[in-house]
Amino acid sequence: MIIIFTIFVLVSGGTFLVLQRSMVRAVFGLGLISHAVNLILLVSGVPAWRGEPITSEADLARAADPLPQAFVLTAIVITLAVTILMLALAVIGHNDDQVRHPETGEDHDS
Amino acid sequence: MSALLTMFVAVPLLSAGLLVVIRNHAVARALLLVVPAASAIGGGLLVAAHGSTPVLAHTVGTYLPGVGIVFVSDTLSALMLLLVGVLTALCAGFLMRTGEDELRLVPSLILLLLTGVNGALLTGDLFNLFVFIEVMLLPSYALIAVTGVWRRLGAGRMFVIVNLLASTVFVMGVGLVYGAAGTVNLAALAGAAQDDPQVSLAGAVVLFAMLVKAGVVPMHGWLPRAYPATSAGIMALFSGIHTKVGLYAVFRIYSTLYGGEATWLPILLALVIATVLVGSFATFGEKRIRGALAYQMVAGVGQILIGLVVFTQLSLTAGLFYMVHHMITMGGLILLSGALEHVYGTGRLDRLSGLLRRDRAVAAFMALGFLSLVGLPPTSGLWGKATLLGGAAQAGGATAWLLLGTVVAASIASLMALQHVWRNVFQGRPLELDVDDDVTTTWGDLWPGATLISISVALFVLAGVAWPFFDEAATRLIDLAPYLQAVMGS
Repeated sequence: MIIIFTIFVLVSGGTFLVLQRSMVRAVFGLGLISHAVNLILLVSGVPAWRGEPITSEADLARAADPLPQAFVLTAIVITLAVTILMLALAVIGHNDDQVRHPETGEDHDS
Repeated sequence: MSALLTMFVAVPLLSAGLLVVIRNHAVARALLLVVPAASAIGGGLLVAAHGSTPVLAHTVGTYLPGVGIVFVSDTLSALMLLLVGVLTALCAGFLMRTGEDELRLVPSLILLLLTGVNGALLTGDLFNLFVFIEVMLLPSYALIAVTGVWRRLGAGRMFVIVNLLASTVFVMGVGLVYGAAGTVNLAALAGAAQDDPQVSLAGAVVLFAMLVKAGVVPMHGWLPRAYPATSAGIMALFSGIHTKVGLYAVFRIYSTLYGGEATWLPILLALVIATVLVGSFATFGEKRIRGALAYQMVAGVGQILIGLVVFTQLSLTAGLFYMVHHMITMGGLILLSGALEHVYGTGRLDRLSGLLRRDRAVAAFMALGFLSLVGLPPTSGLWGKATLLGGAAQAGGATAWLLLGTVVAASIASLMALQHVWRNVFQGRPLELDVDDDVTTTWGDLWPGATLISISVALFVLAGVAWPFFDEAATRLIDLAPYLQAVMGS
């Protein structure tokens, strides 16, 4: 129940932030949403405490399902990479309101 | 033999890495042409091989069936591999002409894009599909902002946000499928959504994310804003292989999980009809050639999905044929308008005029391309539209009439909108731009686009030769037994 409430809070906060105009806020919002999704992935295994999924260490019936954890690990790595790229884009573009065009030294009419 | 399937991923990936280390221009150009061409040849060989063996599967590391990472190839994925290789090689040729391939890391990024696309086409596992789609998206985040007009930076931000959000929803869907069915292997999931409403809902989340990436109304807004902002060569690359991977995934997942019987099918039907209509009518409002083409892409996505919604042998064949025809025609048109932009420095309809007298070859090929988009002879568009209408008619009852009316109305609207583009660009008073009279497009600019349009014309003549392959691809989507046999080994 706590984990579901956490997901709810993260998704609502993330949705609010993504809809903001500033790129940095949108990046924070995506961070929250992807964290909520990581929790959903963990819930799809069993969220309760289980043994390590190593055959010599724990009884297989009591071991945790390693697959959702592997999913989450992959998802975290990908989100991290994209977050860095988005933060770079937030710096390059400068202007969040698009009132002033970014100065790329190009003709704005083409 | 089937272990060679991994080469479609390994070779582009290794060459991309190699080009980061070796900063030699000649090597980069050679690899940029040879690797996609080799991938296309491999795809062609696979299409031929599937004449005798319907499905080839390889489990990496020879794990137990259903546990390891599987690469599966059938006629559909082989055809897509062939086409993706050809498109990438031709786009690379165009980028060499505009000099964009000399930008740092661009060759590596394009090869990485090819890696992701090939992987996504061959994988037999939902989570690996997610990983390969990310491998495809990360280089495109960089590519979209490297070249193009000044809008590319703002468009690049939006492109990243929309695609990351869609990927997040996708991975959530994969997690839900795992929670409901206990596996993410497509073969193990065959028919699962028909038996279990939980899997059906979870699969809908996955398909929703793919529809966002394909650009289905009302999630299409990012596509006509982002794509025209980047350069023509990159846009052709994206339009040909990017959105179409989303469509390929929708075809594959929907046919495997649902077998054509989803309870939420009426919603998909409404979205598809809206996509076709919005795409074709919105073409009127665009002020740039590539902007108009981007909305035609949206319309094309809807028309391809009609084949899936109806889900009969003929409609699926027609949908797949339309997808291939659309990839070829759209790529050709974008590269041709890119040739105009390269020479005249603008793609705006109000700046270009009277090009019919200056650039006869471009005019001829663009006219053929427009005819192909609308569905008129002598192009592959005629067979695409005709068979699509035949497939749509099989839906029966009011649905059939609705789909037929949609396709006809959209074709007429597209015809009028594209006439508007044609009149502004090729007819009217002579060009008033500040260019010399002897400056025109040369074959060096337009050979990649002209090649693609010629393929479209060749498909018109040789439709009878090509059709059995599409028929076989559609059969594999309906009859899953050989797929399961090859992957699960039972």
